[in-house]
Amino acid sequence: MADAIQLEKRGIPAAAICTNALRASADAMAKVQGFPGFRYAVIEHPVSNLGVEELRARAQQALPQVLEILLAPSREP
Amino acid sequence: MSELEAAQAAMEACYEAGWSDGLPVLPPWPSRVEAFLATTSAPREAVVLSLDHLGRAVTVELAAVNAAMAGCKPEYFPVVLAALEALEAEGVARVGGWQSTTGGAPLLVVNGPVRQQLGFNASGNVLGPGFRANATVGRAIRLTILNALGIRPHDLDQSTQGTAAKWTLCVAENEEESPFEPLHAEWGCAASTSVVSALHIRSVDFVDNRQVSRPEQLLQDLAGTLVRTGAQVTAQGWAVILLGPEHAQLLAHHGYRKADVRQALWEKAAVSHQTLARAGKDGVEQPLQWRRPGRPQDGPPSDPLSVIRLVARPEHLAIVVTGAGTAGVSAVAHALGPSLNPGFQGWGWAAVSKWVR
Repeated sequence: MADAIQLEKRGIPAAAICTNALRASADAMAKVQGFPGFRYAVIEHPVSNLGVEELRARAQQALPQVLEILLAPSREP
Repeated sequence: MSELEAAQAAMEACYEAGWSDGLPVLPPWPSRVEAFLATTSAPREAVVLSLDHLGRAVTVELAAVNAAMAGCKPEYFPVVLAALEALEAEGVARVGGWQSTTGGAPLLVVNGPVRQQLGFNASGNVLGPGFRANATVGRAIRLTILNALGIRPHDLDQSTQGTAAKWTLCVAENEEESPFEPLHAEWGCAASTSVVSALHIRSVDFVDNRQVSRPEQLLQDLAGTLVRTGAQVTAQGWAVILLGPEHAQLLAHHGYRKADVRQALWEKAAVSHQTLARAGKDGVEQPLQWRRPGRPQDGPPSDPLSVIRLVARPEHLAIVVTGAGTAGVSAVAHALGPSLNPGFQGWGWAAVSKWVR
């Protein structure tokens, strides 16, 4: 999250991808970075123990969200 | 409202303000905080520890507020500042180690005359409660992390389970009953220097072996806890051996110096490929070196009995003698090492004298 926000602030389009289990921390980091409401893609938890097919499904979940975020980035408050 | 009721109300107000770790804190009245600031020559606005990725920093004044709330005596404050300096040098926090799902906590080790001067416990129940200096210096660090840095659970702290060590984990080395040179001697400090050393650890596991008389068996038993598969998170880790005085004296009696103990444990901190494979940890994912089940792309399978070393170098094992010499009990604390924490610089340490007025 911190990296994506820093990139976005420098004018480089960025989309963070986060699992639903970590949303609280992602929102907290967005606030710390002075960008509450920063939009990010949310996929199902977990990721680290998945096989290739399951990972592909996660990527499918993330893709439309990532495209939407990149094409219409959040506005800094 | 009576004075006692007012004191109760003040503590409740601290809870309401969100300043607590769950236990009552002492209200940080300005005059109380000033008493802490009076013990140090450092200016109140000086930064002791900063986390650039959060844009937050701990000043001497913020540390004093949290040390006061933790229940420290003002004279403990230079030790708290030295602990924060040691943690800055250690570097785990710098890239988010204190926010990690891994959920570890700093282990603080106090050496030198400040142990007696301030009443730090180095013997019985050293990892447990009962001693104000140990309890409150460690707690001051946690309250600083919670309040000054805002790293709170269910928020920036992503710990899955955390560890009881997050309340407080501050031990003094039992230099008087140790046959070995103390930890701070390894940093090149004189025995007469008071030093706080810090290392981020995961948890503390006991090793109970009170009948043993052969050093090789004791070392093997300690190594058995070092190599337990659950603790193998990355390819190779770091660890601290909190050696009970009885175990330390047994080893010394058989001619082991500290470096020999470390070398022997390093040699024994190895398991077969098969052992790791059975626990789904024979593979290593780059670049962070997470352990995971082996995969075909890892290459041809190793000989199942080939030996995998779980600690890279003997120096990555620290030996600290602490606790009471009343039974053959020691403990092992695992640390993650640098691969998951690129900011990690090895043990951090700082002399207390720098912070004393």
